[in-house]
Amino acid sequence: MTDGVPFKNPGWAGNTGEYELTEAQVRGHDYVGTRPRDGGHPAGAGSYPYMLVERHPDAPLFEGPYLERFNKIKTRYPDLRATLLPTLNLAQEVRGHVSPQTMDEVASLLELPPAYVRGVATFYTMYNKQPIGRFLVQVCTNISCNLCGAEEVLKAFLVYADTELGETSQDGNFTVIEAECLAACGFATCVQINSAYYENLTAKGVPELLEHLKSQVGADGEGEGG
Amino acid sequence: MGYPYSHDSEVPILTKHFGEPEARTLAGWKARGGYVALEKALAMSPADVIEEVKASGLRGRGGAGFPAGIKWSFMPSEREKPHYLCCNADEAEPGTFKDRELIRWTPHQLIEGCLIAAHAIQAEHVYVYCRGEFFEATQVFARAVEEAYEAGIIGADLMGSGHTIDLTVHVGAGAYICGEETGLMNSLEGRRGEPRIKPPFPAAAGVFGMPTTVNNVETLCAVPHILANGGEWYRQWGTEKSPGTKIFCVSGHVRRPGNYEFPLGFPLSELIHDVCGGIRDDNALKAVIPGGSSVPFLSEAECRDCMLDYEGVVEAGSMLGCASVIVMDEKTDIVHQVRRMAEFYAHESCGQCTPCREGSDWVVKILRRIEDGRGTEEDLDTLMEITRQMTGTTICVLSDSVAAPVQSSIEKFRDEYLALIRRGERVGAA
Amino acid sequence: MSDNTTTETVTLTVDGQDVTVPKGTTILQAIDQVGTEIPHYCYHAGLSAPAMCRLCLVEVEGAPKLLPSCVTQATDGQVVHTESENAVGMRRGVLEFYLVNHPLDCPVCDQSGECKLQDYVFTEGRERGRSREPKRIFGRDDFGGDVLFYGDRCVMCTRCVRFMEEIEQKPLLTIVDRGTRSIIDTFFERGLEEAEWGGNVVDICPVGALVSKDFLHKARAWDLKHTPSVCGSCSQGCNIDLHTRDNLVHRIKPRFNADVNGHWMCDYGRGNYEWLNRSDRVEEPTFVDDGRAVQLGWDATLEALEQRLAGVTGGVKAVVSASWSNEDLGAVAKFVESLGGGEIVFRSARAEDESPLKGFPSLARRRDLVPNIKGAELLGMTRVGGDEGRGGLEGVADHDGLIVVLGDDLADQDESFGSKASLFVYLGAHTSVGASAAHFTLPVSTFAEQKGTFTNHEGIVQEFLPALEAPGSARPASYVISSLVGAPA
Repeated sequence: MTDGVPFKNPGWAGNTGEYELTEAQVRGHDYVGTRPRDGGHPAGAGSYPYMLVERHPDAPLFEGPYLERFNKIKTRYPDLRATLLPTLNLAQEVRGHVSPQTMDEVASLLELPPAYVRGVATFYTMYNKQPIGRFLVQVCTNISCNLCGAEEVLKAFLVYADTELGETSQDGNFTVIEAECLAACGFATCVQINSAYYENLTAKGVPELLEHLKSQVGADGEGEGG
Repeated sequence: MGYPYSHDSEVPILTKHFGEPEARTLAGWKARGGYVALEKALAMSPADVIEEVKASGLRGRGGAGFPAGIKWSFMPSEREKPHYLCCNADEAEPGTFKDRELIRWTPHQLIEGCLIAAHAIQAEHVYVYCRGEFFEATQVFARAVEEAYEAGIIGADLMGSGHTIDLTVHVGAGAYICGEETGLMNSLEGRRGEPRIKPPFPAAAGVFGMPTTVNNVETLCAVPHILANGGEWYRQWGTEKSPGTKIFCVSGHVRRPGNYEFPLGFPLSELIHDVCGGIRDDNALKAVIPGGSSVPFLSEAECRDCMLDYEGVVEAGSMLGCASVIVMDEKTDIVHQVRRMAEFYAHESCGQCTPCREGSDWVVKILRRIEDGRGTEEDLDTLMEITRQMTGTTICVLSDSVAAPVQSSIEKFRDEYLALIRRGERVGAA
Repeated sequence: MSDNTTTETVTLTVDGQDVTVPKGTTILQAIDQVGTEIPHYCYHAGLSAPAMCRLCLVEVEGAPKLLPSCVTQATDGQVVHTESENAVGMRRGVLEFYLVNHPLDCPVCDQSGECKLQDYVFTEGRERGRSREPKRIFGRDDFGGDVLFYGDRCVMCTRCVRFMEEIEQKPLLTIVDRGTRSIIDTFFERGLEEAEWGGNVVDICPVGALVSKDFLHKARAWDLKHTPSVCGSCSQGCNIDLHTRDNLVHRIKPRFNADVNGHWMCDYGRGNYEWLNRSDRVEEPTFVDDGRAVQLGWDATLEALEQRLAGVTGGVKAVVSASWSNEDLGAVAKFVESLGGGEIVFRSARAEDESPLKGFPSLARRRDLVPNIKGAELLGMTRVGGDEGRGGLEGVADHDGLIVVLGDDLADQDESFGSKASLFVYLGAHTSVGASAAHFTLPVSTFAEQKGTFTNHEGIVQEFLPALEAPGSARPASYVISSLVGAPA
């Protein structure tokens, strides 16, 4: 997200009056910049965001820069099994969700039994087992956010995105789910949308945020979330 | 300095550079005195580094409060097999939000702490297990790691020391239980993040079957300061048994929620009423959970004299945990909040141990029924007994974490349950 | 150097009783040695112990918490209580947890009567569970092979997952999801049809979650008679129990033998029992007298046979089956010898390969698909014919002297077999076209109907006991033959 966008996340520290910071400074984008697709240094090759707007369910596992990243990841662990999570992350980054077919392919890449891969993939909630909307809206309704009105925020998302909990809106834009504590309790209510956190959100702020997200879709086929 | 609010009386050691974007960069970190401690530590023997940390009395900041130096000393002193350090950055305890701030504002502080600890335990590889959801913070951290590698601060012959320490950023995929150290190790090995039975303890057979130490982000971030200034220096703050400073994560119904760094032993009421500006909307305080949602509630009265150190909070009737202070005002529906917490633990239970797998779900179902006005007083007895059977009977303590809020709320806020059961009255529903 | 080879031991107290065990023994094993059974689900002697069922918790004096006895090592001086208020109370609590979502469908559950959940709850569970909540429903799933999964009955002990991972070493099963939603499953449609030892997961399932399709609703466990026996399906000689009712074998279960098969047996052997229930049996001794087949009972038949034997010429040729016991084969050998000796052959089906059980290296489904090859060979008998267990009888079929056949069904032969023989004696279990020309057809019992021994591929001689009653007048071949050998020629 760049500073030119009219939408202002209400949660930035700058708003408290104590810090004068831009959103890019708070999120760290000014420091990170654009990370190279091939993964840069192997130490961080397995750390890329894997909840993205752009998705290619039929893309191969893996080719081009993704294959380079996969190969770099493998150098960081003493055995292939340990690369399972980073590999599933990478697969989801490429394809958007982890289908049975994807589990099977990952299993053969890593010489693991497919059933084992299924067992691991289903243990972790961030792997989407089926296709989801362009934006995965995860509203934290755990205690600190709950105390600060998270359930109202969740309702607002469901109403304004016109969808049911766990379902995807008709336009394919939003899948809204409840999330467990996102570790941003001082910024309640916290909502994770794809790879980015939106903090200090109130029910009132939801329509504007949704409009802002919709405006990100279409222009270049990509969008926020990287 | 606290973020997003600060307070004049804070003692900012770890949080000094929160809110300073330049502090993230290698140059910025060095300009702030960074990596001096690492250079110093690398010139010391591992045993001496451990002694210094022991002298500081630094206790693990992940919740258990075990002395870090002693934990390190459990590692074999001879490196016959590879040793590993795992940094637990899988912050997920409801109410806790310090590690993400440490990572995103001071990534090099964490790197420095990791490398010093790795040197102390003679680990050749550090895995920083970052919570999957922390995409932005992880990018910041990965960038800092890259910078440090490029500058020869990580890797072969780091800082010309002749040692080799590698560091890998590992990203999780959504499982609270991976914050438990043995669950973390299983997850890092590419398995389901189910906690392991101890023994064997990680220092004997940890990740990949090798001697391993797992430390919390905040613990590791304190290490460079201790090495730079000495263990005694660190003891100028805090109490005899709980030395040093601690980041307090305050959330809930306070005017100025956020992270604040204070010496351990800081009074809870001062933290709430002074530092955090008191309760929102001029409401009265009802209850506080002082250490993340897995510790017992403190009633308003219990909060008054509670000192925030490991012993003080136990004395008040709860536990310091990771010092995640969740503040609830008089309008809080305790039963509703307890149900929500129980749902969280039921959702996050790995499912290995029967009391936890079946018990946590059962507790949720009973609480839902009570909330719906279909509860009985007998249900409260059942809840007390089920949660008792869930305490101390499982491989890890997640099960105990369900029990703590349920039991303490029934003990301390029984009237709210009874109001629902007898009259269907819900607090704050007016 | 002393020749003292005793291992180091520790002595502990279990419920007031001293017990000495080798160092490294777990408390659970020590408790077992005292003769008490501590309830457990996830622990199985043949598998690793994950200590997750939390049933085998015991009180150990000095320990702050109850300890899982399955993974806690016994130490010297330890004082263990399995029946203390704390331990019993905790077990009662854990058992109640197991019933929160259990469907309590014992009346229609195959495991009923041999179910560890039933047993434990009956012994020390609460009289009534307190849960009033709606139960979680998983439903039923076909796991492939002979295995059917009833998710709601599962206690999540993961024995099945560990068996496939550690013993068969084909991890076709896994835990899917987590917490209270966790469930055992295969990789979608790929299940146990790829396994060769998958039936063992049914045996080790302590409850009715994994059941055999073959056995489904066939019999109640308490109606089955269990008879120790030896598997007749290959030369491994797995120790088994034959489970019978109404004089029919309903299923085969492995019986523990550390040296031969551990706790396990293969799916092939487990499923290969229908032949023991065949109804086309030879039931009455019959002989041809003056061109007429007559049935005059054993005494008259054997008397007639003795007379005919006295006049026989042209030498003896015998065909036996290595599915018959050492005693039966030995009697044939002795009999042939008593008649001046002659060739004894047997035929046996051979599989292309062995099918080893990776996690228990001494166990495999062997190439020889009959149990007593070694026994026959030790008796000097010769294998003839092809790997399909047919052919090789050319020299016997047209023999003009005495032909003795034991057990071999002569399934590949026609009416002409033995038609040139001066005397053809068929000691068989099943009626056979190949035995049409027999002068004497003598009904004998199968191994399931008699006591006897097989010698397995390693030379281990193992005994089996009669599980079924032989039909009609059938009796063990050794009885029949020895009465002839003993008789004056």
